[in-house]
Amino acid sequence: MRKFFLAAMLLGFVAYAGINLSENVTPYVSIAEATASKNSVQVKGLLDENFAPRQAGDEFIFNLRDEVTGETLNVKFSGVRPDQFDEAHHIVAVGKYDEAAETFRAKKLLIKCPSKYEGQKPQ
Amino acid sequence: MTPLKIFGAVSAAAVVAAGAWLWILIFTDDFSVAYVAAYSSTKLPALYKISAFWAGQQGSFLLWLLIHALAGLVLIYRKVSAETLSVYFFLEALLIIFVATNSPFAANPAQVSEGVGLNPLLQDFWMAIHPPIIFVGYALLAVPVSLSVGALLEAPASRDWLEPARRWTLAAWSFLGAGIFIGGYWAYKVLGWGGYWAWDPVENSSLVPWLLSAVLLHVINLARKKSAVLPLAHIAAVFTYSLVIYGTFLTRSGVLGDFSVHSFVGSEIGLTIALANAAVLLGGLAIIFVRAKKFPAGRMYESYGESAFAVLLGMLLLIFVAVIVWLGMSMPLLTRGTAAVDADFYVKSTAPIALVLVALIIYSFVRFGRQISLGGKIAHAGFVLGLAAVVISSSGETVTAELSNGVEAELAGHKIIYRGQIFETRRKFYVYEVDGQEVRALTKLRGNGEDAAREPAILKNISGDVYIAPHPSQNLLAQELILERGRFAMDGELVYTFDSAEISYDAENNPVRASAKISVTDGINSETIEPQIEVTADGGTSEAIEIFNGRRRVRLTGISGDKTKARLEILPALAEISSVPITTTLSTKPLIWLLWLSAAAVCAGTLAAVRKEP
Repeated sequence: MRKFFLAAMLLGFVAYAGINLSENVTPYVSIAEATASKNSVQVKGLLDENFAPRQAGDEFIFNLRDEVTGETLNVKFSGVRPDQFDEAHHIVAVGKYDEAAETFRAKKLLIKCPSKYEGQKPQ
Repeated sequence: MTPLKIFGAVSAAAVVAAGAWLWILIFTDDFSVAYVAAYSSTKLPALYKISAFWAGQQGSFLLWLLIHALAGLVLIYRKVSAETLSVYFFLEALLIIFVATNSPFAANPAQVSEGVGLNPLLQDFWMAIHPPIIFVGYALLAVPVSLSVGALLEAPASRDWLEPARRWTLAAWSFLGAGIFIGGYWAYKVLGWGGYWAWDPVENSSLVPWLLSAVLLHVINLARKKSAVLPLAHIAAVFTYSLVIYGTFLTRSGVLGDFSVHSFVGSEIGLTIALANAAVLLGGLAIIFVRAKKFPAGRMYESYGESAFAVLLGMLLLIFVAVIVWLGMSMPLLTRGTAAVDADFYVKSTAPIALVLVALIIYSFVRFGRQISLGGKIAHAGFVLGLAAVVISSSGETVTAELSNGVEAELAGHKIIYRGQIFETRRKFYVYEVDGQEVRALTKLRGNGEDAAREPAILKNISGDVYIAPHPSQNLLAQELILERGRFAMDGELVYTFDSAEISYDAENNPVRASAKISVTDGINSETIEPQIEVTADGGTSEAIEIFNGRRRVRLTGISGDKTKARLEILPALAEISSVPITTTLSTKPLIWLLWLSAAAVCAGTLAAVRKEP
């Protein structure tokens, strides 16, 4: 009875954690893969200098440029310009590609700074 | 004196000397040491020179080792067994390897006359004390695992180690918790993103050991009454310390470089820590396995109505939470850098478990209240209230709007007026009036006048906080001018002439200081300015100099090596900057003070329970 109880709890937990995990994992992809995917992903890139980042109401808009291929991706972040955005070494955008609007809708931005230990948080 | 005790005393003396030496280097501004140049500067206030010690990876390892070595002296004084001391000093040796391979005393390859200085975000009282408190927690967690493995080696059936282990674990848990809570409070008060916990790997890597220390503590307590729980206490002790090292590996090795917003990057210490981690976990489990036959037999609980069952069930739930956090933070590692989880994963997965846990704690209070010590009661009540406060405080509203100077707006039910900016030396304030009360958001400035760290303004009420974060568009108004020596350049109103430049070099021909003489005229009057750049490891620009009674501010941002060109940044008057509308996020945090209060209760209750029990 005891062993059954413990086994049931563990099994239930493994199933529970597994389902949650599979629903919330965001793979780390290139810009090309991000535009092809319908799921939530993370894209890393540099700020595209040819497009001035701007704040439009509740949205912050900028272009991400692939470090290797040079491809660019328009990103609309639902939030305000993160502090230290201008000093960013590179930027990781977490979100989904919106095919209709041809833009990447980011829920979160990770700003990587050149300095070694930054307390900067995502917005 | 046995060789073990000699090792303990000598290593403690050496580590204290090394620590003192690092502080001397910091206080004497010895920038020939790379660590000092990277984290300190001549202008850093004394408090932050103290905390510059642990501002970087190398120094924080030394701090950890320092606390570990000092606790080792206490163990020698308390006359713990030779087996326990051996294990403890083995762990100390691992830390010594970390420090030795990653030394804060490495020479600076570049020669500089000024250090970079401590990151302005970290120049905060709470951030100055946060690392030492966390590291006291980490260091003290080495004691229960040493007592556990020491007992396994000496007398596997013995339960004498449980009482000292209980007290050390309580102390460690209290400090680790205090460190985590202080980190969260700092994030809330300084970073301005509106939260206190971001489920970042660096945060999670301290949360997992904290959750497991809670498990360790409860099974130790139970094992004192029930001999059948003894093996669980050993397993918990080994896992807790292993996860302390695992967290260190995850955050220090650079494997999370692209996933954590604030992990240390570019370090080669990963493999060393991974090996140490494997040694502790596998070594510990192997010893438990070999000694398993000698563990006392018996039942952990007789019936489901017994307090022991409630405690064990609660611990199982805590382990579930720890596993979820562990899985989430390890995702980049498990998928070889191809995936991560977002914060929703943690919230969605842990919330139902936390709910059951709260129900279980309330049930246990009602049924077994008499068996819980006063400290335990305070800590558990704090835990439950804290979770309630997390839910309540996150039920507020968040609104972002552009506010014009002097114009009243209503955001999330609060009347807010932006009142412009106040400038002081090396800092400025964004001034707001919220519901008739003035609040100020501090922004620390770099030496050259740029924003370095922007804090929110917080209006504290009994009903909760009104949290106001300014988001200025950076350098929107700055204009750049490239001047050639002897020629004019205009910014629309004023004419600038670059007359001459000076660059001074050190013995090795590295530039140390650069200045330019620039005359400015509006056609009637003229002024001459001499902005000066101090060269630091990360470059540098001059301070902004006011010209024509503050009509403009001018900053020198570079001079070419042959002194023929100078780059200037022309900034508008301060009054003009104040009049620009500002994007502001206002959020309400109902009853957030309850969260800080409960966090303090958890730590205080735990600390109170450290008292010796018969």
